Amino acid sequence: MFSYYLKLGWLSIRRNPLLSILMVTAIAVGIGASMTTITVNYIMGGNPIPQKSDELFKVQLDNWDPNDQSEGEYELPEQMTYLDAMALMRDRKAYRQVASNRSGLVLEPQGADELPFSVDTRNTWADFFPMFDLPFVYGSGWDDTADRNLERVVVLSKEINERVFGGEDSVGRSVRLNGMDFRVVGVLGEFQPVPKFYDVTNGAFNEAEEIYIPFNIAVEYEFSRNGNTSCWKPSDGDGFEAFLNSECIWIQFWAELRNAEEKQDYMAYLNAHVEQQKALGRFPRPLNNRLSDVMEWMKDREVVDEDAQVMLGLSLLFLVVCLLNTIGLLLAKFMGKSGDIGLRRALGASRSSLFIQHMIESGLIGLGGGILGLGLTWLGLAGIKMLFGDFVENLASLDWVMVLTAIGLAIFSALLAGLYPTWRACRIAPASQLKTQ
Amino acid sequence: MLSMQNISMVYRTDLVETHALREFSLEVKEGDFVSVTGPSGSGKTTFLNIAGLLEKFTDGRYELDGRDVSALSDTESSAVRNEKIGFIFQSFNLIPDLNLFDNVDVPLRYRGFKSAERKRRIEGVLDTVGLASRMKHLPSQLSGGQQQRVAIARALAGEPRFLLADEPTGNLDSQMAMSVMELIAEINRGGTTIIMVTHDPTLADMASRNVHIRDGRVSDIATDTQLAEVATG
Amino acid sequence: MDIGPIWRAMMRNKTGAILIALQIAVTMAIMVNAISIMQERSRMMARPSGIDEQNIFYISSIGFAEDFNERVTIEEDLAALRGMPGVVNAIQSNSVPLSGGGWSMGLQTEPGAEIDGTGVALYFIDEHGLDTFGLNLLAGENFSATEVEWRERSATEWPDRVIITQAMAEALYPDDPDGALGKTVYIGDDEPLTISGIIEQMQAPWNGWNGVERVMLTPLHTLFGSTRYIIRAEPGRRDGLMPEVEKLLAERNKNRIVRSMRTMDETRERSYRGDASMIKMLTFTIALLVAITALGIVGLASFSVNRRTRQIGTRRALGASRAAILRYFMTENFLISLVGVVVGAVLTVGLNMFMVETFSLTRVAWYLVPAAMLILCIAGQIAVFGPAKRASTVPPAVATRTV
Repeated sequence: MFSYYLKLGWLSIRRNPLLSILMVTAIAVGIGASMTTITVNYIMGGNPIPQKSDELFKVQLDNWDPNDQSEGEYELPEQMTYLDAMALMRDRKAYRQVASNRSGLVLEPQGADELPFSVDTRNTWADFFPMFDLPFVYGSGWDDTADRNLERVVVLSKEINERVFGGEDSVGRSVRLNGMDFRVVGVLGEFQPVPKFYDVTNGAFNEAEEIYIPFNIAVEYEFSRNGNTSCWKPSDGDGFEAFLNSECIWIQFWAELRNAEEKQDYMAYLNAHVEQQKALGRFPRPLNNRLSDVMEWMKDREVVDEDAQVMLGLSLLFLVVCLLNTIGLLLAKFMGKSGDIGLRRALGASRSSLFIQHMIESGLIGLGGGILGLGLTWLGLAGIKMLFGDFVENLASLDWVMVLTAIGLAIFSALLAGLYPTWRACRIAPASQLKTQ
Repeated sequence: MLSMQNISMVYRTDLVETHALREFSLEVKEGDFVSVTGPSGSGKTTFLNIAGLLEKFTDGRYELDGRDVSALSDTESSAVRNEKIGFIFQSFNLIPDLNLFDNVDVPLRYRGFKSAERKRRIEGVLDTVGLASRMKHLPSQLSGGQQQRVAIARALAGEPRFLLADEPTGNLDSQMAMSVMELIAEINRGGTTIIMVTHDPTLADMASRNVHIRDGRVSDIATDTQLAEVATG
Repeated sequence: MDIGPIWRAMMRNKTGAILIALQIAVTMAIMVNAISIMQERSRMMARPSGIDEQNIFYISSIGFAEDFNERVTIEEDLAALRGMPGVVNAIQSNSVPLSGGGWSMGLQTEPGAEIDGTGVALYFIDEHGLDTFGLNLLAGENFSATEVEWRERSATEWPDRVIITQAMAEALYPDDPDGALGKTVYIGDDEPLTISGIIEQMQAPWNGWNGVERVMLTPLHTLFGSTRYIIRAEPGRRDGLMPEVEKLLAERNKNRIVRSMRTMDETRERSYRGDASMIKMLTFTIALLVAITALGIVGLASFSVNRRTRQIGTRRALGASRAAILRYFMTENFLISLVGVVVGAVLTVGLNMFMVETFSLTRVAWYLVPAAMLILCIAGQIAVFGPAKRASTVPPAVATRTV
């Protein structure tokens, strides 16, 4: 019976090709517009590390200006001071922990005629690699000893290894950075978390860094920082040492805590640390530390762009317009063949079979709209890439979830739109259309 | 006064030419009641369409009230129809979305009458056809005979000189048909010229004159005496 | 016009009319709110940065070698740049307007740690700064060559004198902005600065900041390892100068790399790319939306004409002229549109209230509502014209056709 209804639906669609094309187009345009914005929002609001996002915690300590309140509330600073980050790294109370920041170095390739170029750098610790599940094609991250002994080691991104070593296994070879030689210990595979959750402060949708070096080395050689630095009071005296001991925040701190107990213990530890610092005259605000897991942190920082949300809302309304359109056209169409329906009723078709027949016809139109809409979505995303340029490179791509969502949404919309016209069609009396004409 | 001389009507498609009327001539005098009969496809409807200025003809001369209508523009034809001609159709052609009052109102609106005048006329004609009490009803709430009475009321509302009827009882049972015919005859007695197309000889005989069309030509014009005989016999 | 019977006939077949009216209403709500967002964005983009954008470009220089002498390099670079034919002037600075990255701090009119300062963006310039940026000094005097200091990255001391924008003066001294010149302001609790000049206008590096006009200039050269030169070219010579400047800097000293050369025009484009793209997307959305709604009107009107062919023929037979039939369908559509835009006006305001509440958007300008009502009514008339025209060509003979 289903195939019979499919055939009837198809015949009916073919009978009014123009009307059918109009309906399919209306649904396709609505789906195209809303799926484009849904995709952007979906990726922006996506979970960058689903396998362990609830075990990774952004650590925030409230050491900020006691006079700085917004709307009567203290807002927790996003980043951490060097003093606190080093204390936390030293105590190692979490299963894993990492303090990191962004910087830029100059890389001098070996070839004589190749020009030096600058590379985005993350200064970090050994735990960074296992904690955030970075994929390696060659070698691995460094270990704690390298951090402690100030070893000049480096992990290269796939692209940099391509550029400097032609993609070969470069582990053990040496790279010249800011006039110093570093030993390659690992080469990454594709790595681009979206959002770049471990450093939303410097851009939630920025590219992942090109190389990774030990944080201690960057401090030792006073490599310049590239990311955000905020201070609420001046440092005591000039020089790098004074800066390190200042209340300026510039470090992103993350801890891996595997269960509620570990989290509880760590919180207790953080509170104890702050209390101790308070005794030394730091932390003028009331005790207020926070551990946010990845998704809580994304939500807290509102990484989903407001424009994207506005466009999402508008495009869903757009879909509503397209559906109203489709309802009208379907109604017109079904009423137009009321003679046919009356005849079928007279020949013994039950209301429910007519209902199914017309819902299937609506569904077919939805399917057509979905497939065409998917094409339009692809065009829409290409358009967004063209408009926004490299900012959205990581935001505008379709995965299979989105493909299925598009088709599903299209069919669902069409069925929804078909509901009222179908109901009207089913109410046509068997004889009414046979009497006259 | 309606006068057709050597009217021809040819429908052309890429493949065929159909002669619906061939050198058709007819004179209808003021106050006549003419019935037009003929088998299907003989050209009855074409004749009626031309007589009612619903269609242009290919060749010949047609004067309505002494005015040559072949040169009238579409808009002028519309105005002539509106003022001088009333139509009664086989399937009534009431507008299903409008109630009786608004249906009768349709030609009056195009005439440009003031609201009070329209109301007076509508109520008058609906009263004539005996449906004044159902003014607010929709056509679908009436029987076929009642619907046709409304259609007649609509045709009369503009006080036309000519009433063209196309199988006015074709969709009615015999009892209703008779009452509609009586109404038409009464209108004729009031001075309105009536031309009625029908395939039913009994109805045709109610006219004062019968024109029989075959293959697009007038094949026979019954005389008043013949009809009188029929009427008495 | 014959509104009465048209309206009553429409009420017999409400659903189609309601669907079209609703479609117009939602279309209007989207359209007006989208246009309002576009207006807001273009207003933002139209704000001047205060500097001579057409002729300015900048380039970064990063020293990397162990023996790189930054101060000497900067002094020599600037001398060389200022000596180039076609260059009006050049300085070293930490940032430029619209670039998105820069320094900010709080200034307060009284010393004391407990006082909340007024946020201000900082540009480090020397005595050539005003000329290079093309700034208009309203009061006071420019910095002198002797007072420009050299600052290490982690220094905490500040030069004694600052130049601020008019907007900053108003923010600091709301009661007496004109008296700002010569007054002392403080960084934190104990660092006093004297306001030695007031410039008319200049933007901070962050275009979305609510204090974007609050800027302070301080006489400093930086020794941060990485530096940025701002170069103002003579009108028309910028594009020719750029490769020359890049080459000059690259060749003068091999112990650094030069990169990120960019014009202010490009900086402005990048800075507002999100807003410009939003405007484009919204324009496209509106166009598509109106097209879909119009197509819907065409579709339904065509269908309704087909369905009513006999009725049209009857009207023609009863004396309706072609124009009268055309008018009938145009009027019918106008009535539907009218209902649609009235409902649309309510929806528009509702949606706008929601958007203002939820997002940082501004209220819709009142005139957009009647304007959109008018536009949509006209669009509806245009859309229905085709089907209505077709209706008017239905021959009157249809009335006598036996079905």
